[in-house]
Amino acid sequence: MLVQTILLISALALGAQPPLAAKQATPAGTKARKARAGVPAAPSGSGFKLKPGGGKVCFGCHADFEARLKKASVHTPVKSGDCTGCHNPHASEHPKLLAGTPQAICLDCHAAIVPASPRSAHKPVAEGRCVGCHDPHASEFKANLVKSGNDLCASCHKAIAEAAASARHKHHPVEKGCSICHDPHGSAAASSLLRKDVPALCLGCHKIDTPALARKHLDYPVKSTRCTTCHDPHGSNAQGMFLANVHPPVARGQCAMCHEPATSKTPFKTRQVGAELCRGCHSQKMSAMLEHSRVHQPVLEGACLACHGPHASKEKGLLKANGVVVCGACHADTIRRQEGSKTRHRPIAAGDCYRCHDPHAGDLPLLFVNPNGIELCGGCHDWQKHSTHPIGNKVKDPRNANLTLQCQSCHRAHGSEYKNMVPYANATTLCTSCHDKFKR
Amino acid sequence: MTTLRPKLLLLGSLWLATPATTRAANFKHVGSIYADDKEGPLRAPEGVACDDKGALVVADTGNARLLTYGFRDGKATGGAPVRLPQATYPVRVQIDRKGNVLVLDRKTRKIVRVDGAGGYGGAIEVKGASGATPILPLAFKVDLADRLYVLDAGERRVLVLEPDGKVVREVALPRGEQEFTDVAVGPTGKLFAMDSTAARLWVADPAARSFQPVGESLKDRISFPTYVTSDGRGRLYVVDQHGNAIVALGEDGSFQGRELSMGWSDGSLYYPVQLCVNGEGLAFVADRNNNRVQVFSLSR
Repeated sequence: MLVQTILLISALALGAQPPLAAKQATPAGTKARKARAGVPAAPSGSGFKLKPGGGKVCFGCHADFEARLKKASVHTPVKSGDCTGCHNPHASEHPKLLAGTPQAICLDCHAAIVPASPRSAHKPVAEGRCVGCHDPHASEFKANLVKSGNDLCASCHKAIAEAAASARHKHHPVEKGCSICHDPHGSAAASSLLRKDVPALCLGCHKIDTPALARKHLDYPVKSTRCTTCHDPHGSNAQGMFLANVHPPVARGQCAMCHEPATSKTPFKTRQVGAELCRGCHSQKMSAMLEHSRVHQPVLEGACLACHGPHASKEKGLLKANGVVVCGACHADTIRRQEGSKTRHRPIAAGDCYRCHDPHAGDLPLLFVNPNGIELCGGCHDWQKHSTHPIGNKVKDPRNANLTLQCQSCHRAHGSEYKNMVPYANATTLCTSCHDKFKR
Repeated sequence: MTTLRPKLLLLGSLWLATPATTRAANFKHVGSIYADDKEGPLRAPEGVACDDKGALVVADTGNARLLTYGFRDGKATGGAPVRLPQATYPVRVQIDRKGNVLVLDRKTRKIVRVDGAGGYGGAIEVKGASGATPILPLAFKVDLADRLYVLDAGERRVLVLEPDGKVVREVALPRGEQEFTDVAVGPTGKLFAMDSTAARLWVADPAARSFQPVGESLKDRISFPTYVTSDGRGRLYVVDQHGNAIVALGEDGSFQGRELSMGWSDGSLYYPVQLCVNGEGLAFVADRNNNRVQVFSLSR
């Protein structure tokens, strides 16, 4: 009781108010803070009847702000000393005494910067991590960015940035700034944060009707086609800024091998439909696939373009994307299992599904490329170093008279919710599934 | 011959008397078939068919043969092999009203008829189908009138055939990103097709020319459905091959329950492929990667 009384007197003496009182202090005259859909409104922070000079009261303790104010780009509220525009000087439920969630505070002034119905959204923006890119107080870079434009993008999009930097044929806008083509806050117009959809974006600079460019496209009316099915907009080592892997007829300029002539009324119509067109060149390979007892369903249906791009690709084999995306389009459950696994199996994480499975056809269940499971795993794992547990075609599985012990008797190749891709919570459960006399 | 556990109760009469409810049946393991009549082990069986007279046929795919059993009073008997040069990659199997076995051979992509004595009864020759694309049967079912329902991957459709192969109806499947892996026919003549990619059921009424989706995608509850069959009483059973389970659905695509789980011991599944439910309330599952067929009683 004595302690409580002392604490109460101390609090009153220091002039502290309970947090509720602070929250209720909504002064008149501050601009209304409207809630955006799904985002709580930032509570007003002004109206604290600060001593003359506003934010200078804060700078008394936060002395480092003197230096920050000298930076090239200072956030307007900081410049005007309106610290309470974002912070509550007394108490807050949010970190750094912010007056609301970081996202709500930023959107309170910058609401228009994020499209209301985006076709593509930037992950940090969607997650409300504005400070991932912007310093809320001051920075040496435009728009309070924490790094200069392209360097900032490269800190996450490293692979694209490195490829662009080392490309023999560079795309000028990439060097000038990613934001020429991409809107980092989201795009209502296109995927991949593009400011306009392709080809409109490309045609903004490239005058496709000029004789030189028309000749390069063999007079095909490409202004309505998607440029990025052939060209890499971030630069390339191939002439014409082609994607790294080009379908040979495209590279040779033999568009008419697959399409009707450029002079036709329907120049992009293919000469044959579906897999029949592909068969013109790949007949041996396709026949060999169909000879197998198991054919992957898209192959059987002749849906080559379900996985491959017909013109060019960044991926080997003209795959539309890496295995995580291409295989995951149908086998989302398998990819999801891998992503949720405590231990990641590297080939799957890298989208290298083809190390174990033949994507076209085979004679083994699950289209495995090797009938011997131990050899298949042994391609990467030296199991004898890993374990001395007997496995192999001569070792019977005690749980099932028709099985022998293989790697997959204990591990799930696409992962599990437990460590080491084991389907049981602990080693005891795993071991006693066979050695049941040790069960307790 | 078999290592079946004779635990079967008098389930037949109970099963027939119990009306379909929204609650799915519980799968209770009653036995497993591991071998043929000479104790030769099964290898990667991908098909199983049963009828109400006690016939049971297994497509012992890895051994390139069919195995014919009798299943009565909770016991499997027989297990005689049938080897046919016309069906060396048997996958899906069905038994018609006359006791013939219909087998889909994955390599030749033909549906082959095998008579009750194990003799070759010819391949089903499809007559009168529209379009020039060769017919690629991915899956099929047989109804009580011995009509065949063939899922044709070539033209993305289901062909309804008379027993002699004459096409009596074509039902179109959508030409989108769906990958259809099976077709089933319900007791009122409704057709069902399963899209593995979205784990979604599609349905066609008895006179419909095309399938329509029903319910919602069950991708959160079914990993990769590859087989669907009707229990003849308004419920569908789906084999979740990658999820190692059997899922019960209503004819409206509603989720009604999930049974069994991954494992190697009796009662667990490891990449199951086909399921057959008979009138006695027994379910036979071709448990491919466990090299066996498992028998479950369906209790409510």
